[in-house]
Amino acid sequence: MTSTLDIIIAGGGRVGFQTAEILADRGHDVTIIERDERTVSDIADQWLATVIRGDATNPEIIDQAGIERADVIAALTGESGLNLAVCLAAGELNPDIRTVARIDRKGGEAYTEFVDAVVFPERAGSRVAANEILGSDVQTLADVTGNLDIMLIRVAEGAPAAGKALSDVRFPEGTVVVSDADGERIARADTTLTPGSSYVVAVEPDVVDEVLNLMRG
Amino acid sequence: MSKGQTRSPEAELGLLDATMIGMGAMIGAGIFVLTGLAAEIAGPAAIVVFALNGVVTAFTGLSYAELAASIPKSGGGYAFVREIFDDFASFIMGWMLWFAYMIAGALYALGFAPNFLELLHVYGVVPPPEQVGAVALPVLDAALPLSFLLAFLAVLGLVALNAVSTAASGSVETIFTVIKVSILVVFVAFGLASPMFSGAEFQPLFPEGSGAAAVLPAMGLTFIAFEGYDLITTVTEEVQNPRENIPKAIFISLAVTVVVYLAVVTVAVGTLGAGGLAEAGEAGIATAATSFMPTGLPVIQNGGALIVFGAVFSTLTALNAVVIASSRVAFSMGREGQLLPSVGQLHHRYGTPFVAILASAVVMLASVALPTQSAGNMSSLFFLLSFIIVNVAVIRLRRERPNMNRPYEMPFYPAPPIIGIALNLLLTGVLVEFLLRTDPLALALSAAWILLGAAAYFALKRAKTPPESGPATDDTEITPEAED
Repeated sequence: MTSTLDIIIAGGGRVGFQTAEILADRGHDVTIIERDERTVSDIADQWLATVIRGDATNPEIIDQAGIERADVIAALTGESGLNLAVCLAAGELNPDIRTVARIDRKGGEAYTEFVDAVVFPERAGSRVAANEILGSDVQTLADVTGNLDIMLIRVAEGAPAAGKALSDVRFPEGTVVVSDADGERIARADTTLTPGSSYVVAVEPDVVDEVLNLMRG
Repeated sequence: MSKGQTRSPEAELGLLDATMIGMGAMIGAGIFVLTGLAAEIAGPAAIVVFALNGVVTAFTGLSYAELAASIPKSGGGYAFVREIFDDFASFIMGWMLWFAYMIAGALYALGFAPNFLELLHVYGVVPPPEQVGAVALPVLDAALPLSFLLAFLAVLGLVALNAVSTAASGSVETIFTVIKVSILVVFVAFGLASPMFSGAEFQPLFPEGSGAAAVLPAMGLTFIAFEGYDLITTVTEEVQNPRENIPKAIFISLAVTVVVYLAVVTVAVGTLGAGGLAEAGEAGIATAATSFMPTGLPVIQNGGALIVFGAVFSTLTALNAVVIASSRVAFSMGREGQLLPSVGQLHHRYGTPFVAILASAVVMLASVALPTQSAGNMSSLFFLLSFIIVNVAVIRLRRERPNMNRPYEMPFYPAPPIIGIALNLLLTGVLVEFLLRTDPLALALSAAWILLGAAAYFALKRAKTPPESGPATDDTEITPEAED
């Protein structure tokens, strides 16, 4: 299995760009399709993805993004209808591709008939907002972290760190393995990274790639 | 830290640092190792050889600049070609580039050995190279013991270092480059001032017999000298404002490097004469320096020692750079599933691409047994071939993806890549023809490497279980918030 995915993101706005950033940090190949000239040049400044300038519903543009080789297409523009159209067109051009569409209202789950997954960023965002408003001392993991990724990672068979004790693995600086197998206890030096088990790991974005390499291969 | 919008690692390399990385790679071992070899074939026209090579490389430099600015991937030539070509073509590109770096490693190690001996000689530890050389020089098997051993040890040491710890950063590279360039400036200054240079004889410019035609094979042989600016494209992620600074860094480093080469080669030819330079071979510059630098200085005793030290230092740092570069190509190929997956994995204890480094080391260590000239020939050949592919990639990308955002577009497209292809092809042809006559072993090994690659590609493809469709999504995920 190739560990690097080829991902196309239609729409390089807030949601699309942030998503691209996370994916690129994890070492995946991202291509962004974006219509707006200024957004294109902003993305280019960040230098994290190849950018195709144009309308993502145009098959020729999707083709230029390398659709035939892509593993996933995520349509993340602000318009649900357009996102759906992009995913449908992409599915026509490459039947094997996984499609993800951003929708803008509840109940969009019905769309999963046409796409593999739907995303409703406002819902996730409102959770974060609610937590912030309540200012609670107890928050879910993802909210306290600015840039940190708190990830649940399942150790893959044959990964470099698989079957090794934590004390034998040199994780890059900026990594903390928080839990032992399947989140039963806090990890210790002698905790073994058992293939097939999942571990909670806190990671700084710039080393996510390396951590995944060690745990996933 | 605030919730930054910028992506880590922070872009912290300025234009100067990026330029230095390119210069550091080019003004490395090449100038010390290859000058003598160029003089051997082309005579005083070695100067012309390096100037023309700079021009040829500049066309490919334009292509690199455009690709690096528009394809945001650290990884150099292989990453670009991977973006555009199908599996097999990109595999072959990676395979050739990997080999080119490994052989360059062998070349630098082989250049390190005689320069190191010269350094020991300057301090009187070993007899002068002529005496060591009298036994060892002309034939391969006679030369084996001492220099082979030294080269082998150098590779082994640096490979071990890189296998267990992560590489030095860009700022160290900047310091190294400044040291190297300063030493060369001292060399040029003393050389120009020396009485030997005032009687310099550049006539006849071209060697008798072969004439101006001798320039072409010499160009092919020394083409590798200007390979190195592509290293800039492997650190792009850390460069500030990459879409402006990367193309600039490529051009500035190339231009400065050509100037430095011309000055050094002119002085070397002027003082030692093309014949003497050719005789000194890999230690050409060092020998020239020993001949005109002042002696009896405090501490270093002999001014020549400084230059010889520069040569030793340069070959070692260049060797280090290609150990990293070659393992990085193999590592990306492993990541992309084009080599065994283990090649694309980090070592759990050392955090380095251990298998990729070891795999590169095996080939490098084996290649140290080659004569220096064969190593130079093969490395140049493979860089020529991969540069052709890079130029083709630019043209293909323009045609197939006209709407791709290109922050830097080369002027006068499509002339530069077409000229680049034509010139690189010409040099490849000349080099192959030259190798047929003089070094069939190098040619056979090169062909064998490509065949081996093709075999490996298809074997790997067959061995692979039919790929599961769709990505493995459920194994890795952000905890609660992303779900809906």
